[in-house]
Amino acid sequence: MKKIFLFDLDSTITKEEILPSISKSINKEDEMRKLTEMTMMGEISFEESFKSRVDMLKDIPVSEVAEKISNISLNQELVKFLNKHKDICYIVTGNLDVWIDKLMKKIGMENNYFCSKASVSNNKITKISKILQKDEVVAKFKDYIVAIGDGSNDYKLLEKANLGVAFGGVRNIAPSLLEVCDYAIYDEKRLAEFLERLIEE
Amino acid sequence: MNNKTVIISCAGIGSRLGRNMPKALVPVDGKPMIIRTLELLDNVNDVRVVVGYQAEKVIEVVNSYRRDVTFVFNHDYLNNGTGASVSLAMQYAKEFILTIDGDIIIHPSDMEEILKMNTEFVGVCEIGTDNPVLTKVKDNKVIAFSREKGEFEWTGVTLLKTKRVNKTEGHVYFMIEPLLPLDYKLIRLKEIDTPNDYEMALKWVKNNYR
Ligand SMILES: [Mg+2]
Repeated sequence: MKKIFLFDLDSTITKEEILPSISKSINKEDEMRKLTEMTMMGEISFEESFKSRVDMLKDIPVSEVAEKISNISLNQELVKFLNKHKDICYIVTGNLDVWIDKLMKKIGMENNYFCSKASVSNNKITKISKILQKDEVVAKFKDYIVAIGDGSNDYKLLEKANLGVAFGGVRNIAPSLLEVCDYAIYDEKRLAEFLERLIEE
Repeated sequence: MNNKTVIISCAGIGSRLGRNMPKALVPVDGKPMIIRTLELLDNVNDVRVVVGYQAEKVIEVVNSYRRDVTFVFNHDYLNNGTGASVSLAMQYAKEFILTIDGDIIIHPSDMEEILKMNTEFVGVCEIGTDNPVLTKVKDNKVIAFSREKGEFEWTGVTLLKTKRVNKTEGHVYFMIEPLLPLDYKLIRLKEIDTPNDYEMALKWVKNNYR
């Protein structure tokens, strides 16, 4: 059966959480990091936290945020995997389309991502029009789904996937995720090798 | 050496030893058993540790030694056996799987030999534990497993061709039975099920595996 790979973005493909790193430039890092940590550990809902985090950054021009995000450091072994298997890989992230489109293009995933959506006017975000529920993506496919993620917002994604891989190469895997994952891997190279094995069989 | 996936089963509770930790984490002469096993596997790239009971603690200890182990989750460890753990871990494995229980200590030079082998075998030892699974041997081959009689005790250490193994929920030896007869290999090791086993193993390690 054909396998489809769904990757979380923050701290799975990227080497750091995206929004906290953006918030550095407007000196809201502490506030943002705290909120992000609470979300990743499952202490507040993703939806609620995402709205307030977008709110914090809404005064920065969208193009500026997109530019910064496109320069964030990445797990290169996983990016290599994405590029090699473009036809079967997708990014699944709660982040906003208008913020990540540049990064998606850079990693060759411009046609392969699912995310939240916002409307923009005069280079500023006016409204979040959709917040992505990651698990809804699984239902879009009839194939065998392999999901890879690190945070508690990946819980349902990994739970609904046929095979769930928790990745702890960037940060500690959320404890809740360890309750539903089939595998946990803490080394980027090992993860890439393991995913290759899944394709071979 | 890298035609093997090494599977270390650490999912179970191991209550007979009477410690509130997975047996693989019990220190023997100052070092957790799992670390003693990992130290002998430095040259193996595909090491898989099956976790269940106190998974996070096992992961933490393993990660303190090396970061590139693949952890396989046996979430139903209360209701299934080591065979289920191996069945989960052997998916997408290399040509051979080498199974090892997390509650044993293997003689380092025997492990070295095992890692060089490229033919299937059943690992056996002299009969020594309270409730052993025995192996019947004929013409230098293991021909059956038995609770009643046999020449050697089965160790849980086995090298098998991944493609030939069928999944099970029960004991690992259920997976081996359909493949018999198989060569056997005598291994020097200590299994730790009870406080008495622990004392024996500790002495053995401290006395340079003699
Ligand atoms: Mg993440």
